[in-house]
Amino acid sequence: MAKSGKKRSKKGAIQLLRMRTTVLILLILVTGFGAVSVRLAYLQLVQGTYLQEKAVEQQLVDTTVNSKRGTIYDSKGKVLAQSASVWKVVLAPAYLETEEQRVFVSNRLSKILDLNYDDVYKKTKQKTYYVVLKRKIESDEREQILKLCDELNDKFSGLSNVITLFDDYRRYYPYNDLASSVIGFTGSDDQGLEGVEYQYDKYLTGTPGRIITARNANQTDMPFQYEQNVAAKDGNNITLTIDETIQSIAEKYMKKGITDNKVVNRGVCIIMNVNTGAILSMVTVDGYDLNKPYDLSDADLASIRKLPEKKRAAAESAALGAMWRNKAVADTYYPGSVFKMCTASMALNEGVVNENSHFYCSGSVSIYDHTIHCHFHSGHGSQNLFQVIANSCNPAFIDIGSRVGADKFYKYYQAFGFSEPTGIDLPGESDDLFFNEDGSMSVTDLAVASFGQNFSITPIQMVTACSAIANGGKVLQPYVVQKITDVDGNVVKNTDTIVKRQVVSKAVSKKMCDFLERNTTQGGVNNGYISGYRVGGKTGTSEKIGQSQSGYKDYIASFCGFAPADKPEVACLVFFDTPRGASYYGSQVSAPVFVNIMSEVLPYLEVQAEYNNGEKQYVDTIAGSYVGLSVDKAKASAEKDGFTTTVKGSGKKVVAQMPTAATKIPVGGNIVLYTDNDSKKEKVNVPDMVGYSVSTVNSIAASAGLNVSFSGVTSSANAVSTTQSISSGESVNPGTVITVEFKGGTVVHD
Amino acid sequence: MKTYPQAEVMRRADVNRLYDEKVNNSRRRRQPEGKQPEKKKRQSKIRRPLLERGMGLDLPFLLLVLVLVIIGMIMMFSASYPSAYYKLNDSYFYVRRQLIYAAIGLAAMIGISFFNYNKLHKLAPLLLGFAYLTLVIVLFLPGKVHRWIEIGPINIQASEIMKFALILFFAHWGSLYYDKMQSAKYSVLPGLLVFGSTAALLILEPHYSGIVITAILTVIMLYIGGMQMKYLIIGFVLLIIAVLGAWVTGILTYAMQRMDGWGQALIYTTEEMWQTTWQTRNSLYAIGSGGMFGLGLGQSRQKYLYLPEPQNDFIFAIVCEELGFVGAIIILLIFALLVWRGITLSLRSKDRFGKLLGIGLSSQIGVQVILNILVITDWLPNTGISLPFFSYGGSSLIMLLMQMGLILSISRTANIEKQ
Repeated sequence: MAKSGKKRSKKGAIQLLRMRTTVLILLILVTGFGAVSVRLAYLQLVQGTYLQEKAVEQQLVDTTVNSKRGTIYDSKGKVLAQSASVWKVVLAPAYLETEEQRVFVSNRLSKILDLNYDDVYKKTKQKTYYVVLKRKIESDEREQILKLCDELNDKFSGLSNVITLFDDYRRYYPYNDLASSVIGFTGSDDQGLEGVEYQYDKYLTGTPGRIITARNANQTDMPFQYEQNVAAKDGNNITLTIDETIQSIAEKYMKKGITDNKVVNRGVCIIMNVNTGAILSMVTVDGYDLNKPYDLSDADLASIRKLPEKKRAAAESAALGAMWRNKAVADTYYPGSVFKMCTASMALNEGVVNENSHFYCSGSVSIYDHTIHCHFHSGHGSQNLFQVIANSCNPAFIDIGSRVGADKFYKYYQAFGFSEPTGIDLPGESDDLFFNEDGSMSVTDLAVASFGQNFSITPIQMVTACSAIANGGKVLQPYVVQKITDVDGNVVKNTDTIVKRQVVSKAVSKKMCDFLERNTTQGGVNNGYISGYRVGGKTGTSEKIGQSQSGYKDYIASFCGFAPADKPEVACLVFFDTPRGASYYGSQVSAPVFVNIMSEVLPYLEVQAEYNNGEKQYVDTIAGSYVGLSVDKAKASAEKDGFTTTVKGSGKKVVAQMPTAATKIPVGGNIVLYTDNDSKKEKVNVPDMVGYSVSTVNSIAASAGLNVSFSGVTSSANAVSTTQSISSGESVNPGTVITVEFKGGTVVHD
Repeated sequence: MKTYPQAEVMRRADVNRLYDEKVNNSRRRRQPEGKQPEKKKRQSKIRRPLLERGMGLDLPFLLLVLVLVIIGMIMMFSASYPSAYYKLNDSYFYVRRQLIYAAIGLAAMIGISFFNYNKLHKLAPLLLGFAYLTLVIVLFLPGKVHRWIEIGPINIQASEIMKFALILFFAHWGSLYYDKMQSAKYSVLPGLLVFGSTAALLILEPHYSGIVITAILTVIMLYIGGMQMKYLIIGFVLLIIAVLGAWVTGILTYAMQRMDGWGQALIYTTEEMWQTTWQTRNSLYAIGSGGMFGLGLGQSRQKYLYLPEPQNDFIFAIVCEELGFVGAIIILLIFALLVWRGITLSLRSKDRFGKLLGIGLSSQIGVQVILNILVITDWLPNTGISLPFFSYGGSSLIMLLMQMGLILSISRTANIEKQ
């Protein structure tokens, strides 16, 4: 109350008010609004770009639109790999409001998509707008999802946006395991993982499109213009040089070879166009189903199950790796005697030997402290060059190798393309493994190298070298992709033949073709001969020294040949790793498979067959239709076609015939003509026809009233039947055609 | 009026003088010669009509109010339609209501401008009592925070009433004891009493921003009322010491975290902080996105549910995003003009009550604008301070326009036009 006396005048109070008001205006308008303006200027002008970036980051949603992966065709335009539309199911659980909705949605979705209910229910509890429920659902599942969306819309109004379906693609391989190691497969993101799918991934994938949309905080589109569409560009299509027909033929016989010879470590068959380098077929058996690339074989699964749990995962991935491995390019092996065609070629080309050179084989040869035996222990004696090849005589080849010399040998080794990858357009091609990296060899090395031992090459290198010997000496670059075309059919890339170098002269090539052809007719390799076709080839049986396991002495049985010998078109390598059947020799294991494959492939390739007189009786022809004719007319007609006839029954007209029209039977086969229906009931028992010569089988069949279709090696005097298509003891109609397969009896122990 | 037939001609210049003469004459008639009328009875003895045109209302101030209402309405519509569309399935939900409130408010404003604000003298203590009553009532209403009273379709924020009652009361007090304001008994004491009791009730709601505004308004009213500077300085020094103390002991940082992650919108470290600072962060994104010239009217992206309730306290962030720095500054200038015009016209008021009331009401707008923008730019904690004329809210817009009506009423008696 001390200040109560100091009363201020009214005028003084007004002056004070005016003064203080001025201060107040300054405080509010200058300080306050000033600070606010500075703050806004800092945020909008200084930090603006940063803040805008952050804002845009949360507003824009960049959705990738998958591009359709290109199709892979075989050389004839058959589809080997194709992408088809599938869908991805995405849930936006934040829209779900009640427990009832969550339970309903999880219940239905788990049933439609075959998912665990609890997992789905957990996802419906999340407060987000993007949970992937299942990828790659098919159209029937999609239909059900769409129905569910409609139902949701009716039941809980406006809830249809809880589930969204996004376009996606799935890879289909119509031929399942056909050419699996060549085609390869794709991963979950449509990326190529093996084979051509991997090698040509950038051509196949195309360019994914993008949809950039502004989204509100609920992740639904904002209702206006800022949407930017970049259309997806579909991938290019690839046409392989692989021919599905040839591939199927090769796989059929390779699988049979694996089973027949109890092959442990898979087999390879490569068929190559010797003039272009195009791979017509590349088989690794057993392959795997490209539609289920992660399914191991039952045998693998069984052996993994035996392992302790810790080691299973590693074993499983190792097994998968082995299954996917393209043995034709990724594995190396000792070429063995097959390589002798190269040794002989280089010696001829260098002029150190000629057709008339003589070589002596005593049965073994000593090099320093090593004694190398010929497979023919008593020795081949004196031989000329052709005989050396036909006998596959090791001591003689050691002689030839030493005549060439280590330096020249390695030079040719390089020139044939063994020292470098062939450059084939497939992933995972292995390098060779020579004695020393610089190519130097000891005398022992040279000696064993002359007959293809102790250095490793890949199957594709061997078939490429064989092609060079067959095609006039040109080493080509093998390839599996013929051309790449875009969606509109324009050619993006076309593969031309690349001639790497001339390794031997045309004359040497011609000579070698002659030698190798005669090897299949006159030499020990008569299992390589195909009736009606001129083929050349060489067998090989290489020891897996240092690679043998579990007490076995393991071998690789191979055959490498070409056809037609006078004007080669295709080269073919057949290769079985570790056969543990009755025989492990190339001539017994691989040559028959080669014959089977080529005898179907060559007619398919429209190579003209030329049969000699002896063969003609075993060549199949096609039975005509004689049904409906009178007996006399039918007999005359059948005989005119080159068949003999047997009439059964007492009718006047032919009501049925055996074999039926269009069946393949050899010329001179017996056609049974039925004139009434009762006579059709007559049956004969199939006799045992395995283990006999061609002529014996012929007479057994004739006496039983059956026809035989001869397959395999029939021209050799010591050919022996190995299988018959209908087992002995079964009862069949007279005249039924039974296919009997023959193998040459000679065994070349190379 | 009939006694002065030439009044229409003279009005603009002389009505004030004539009015004064009339008042003085009547006073002289009642009082014995030479004796000054008793101070206490002065106000009550002035007889004035309840409604009068006076010198006519201040057109520039009215124009500024109308401009702000219109811009505010446009921006409120722009900011609110996406969330109205998504959440209420009706883009026009907020703007339709706001238009009705604005119409009611403008009508009330014009009506009140004819109202003789001096009639509020008697009402001031009564209204303060009523404001206290509302603050107590809200505490007993259901809900997490007790800020609102629902009367039929109208939601009234109790603190809105309190703010007006406080300004009115101190204008009344200041004009009544203008000569005793130097004494702490007449300035500091009522200030502490009124603010302290209000703050206590607001803490219970809780409504921290209400406390801040109440404090600022109390200080402003006491300051212009004539309180001695030394008390202000003492208070200011105490405040600084308290803040420094809190800063040194780390309580400030803790408090900043507690206050919805104040100042940490862009440096969130945990999921929880990220959620807590969501609104402020998205406000900063919106402001920054505007840049110099903005994305264009209606082009805001942040209003698409990123910035929650963009029609309320954070509306100016959308304004910044759409109109840019330039647009924001222009709007701030209009606000500044309004505050300046409101304060200056009030200063010309014939009586101290009008001066204090007008300055208080005008300052309140300025203070709210500043605090609101500091909140949306993360310089103050996010505590619910609306932007006058812009933020959605029926009762507050109507109350605001009624207060503008009071300033216009004051302008009728002010000689601001007189040269």
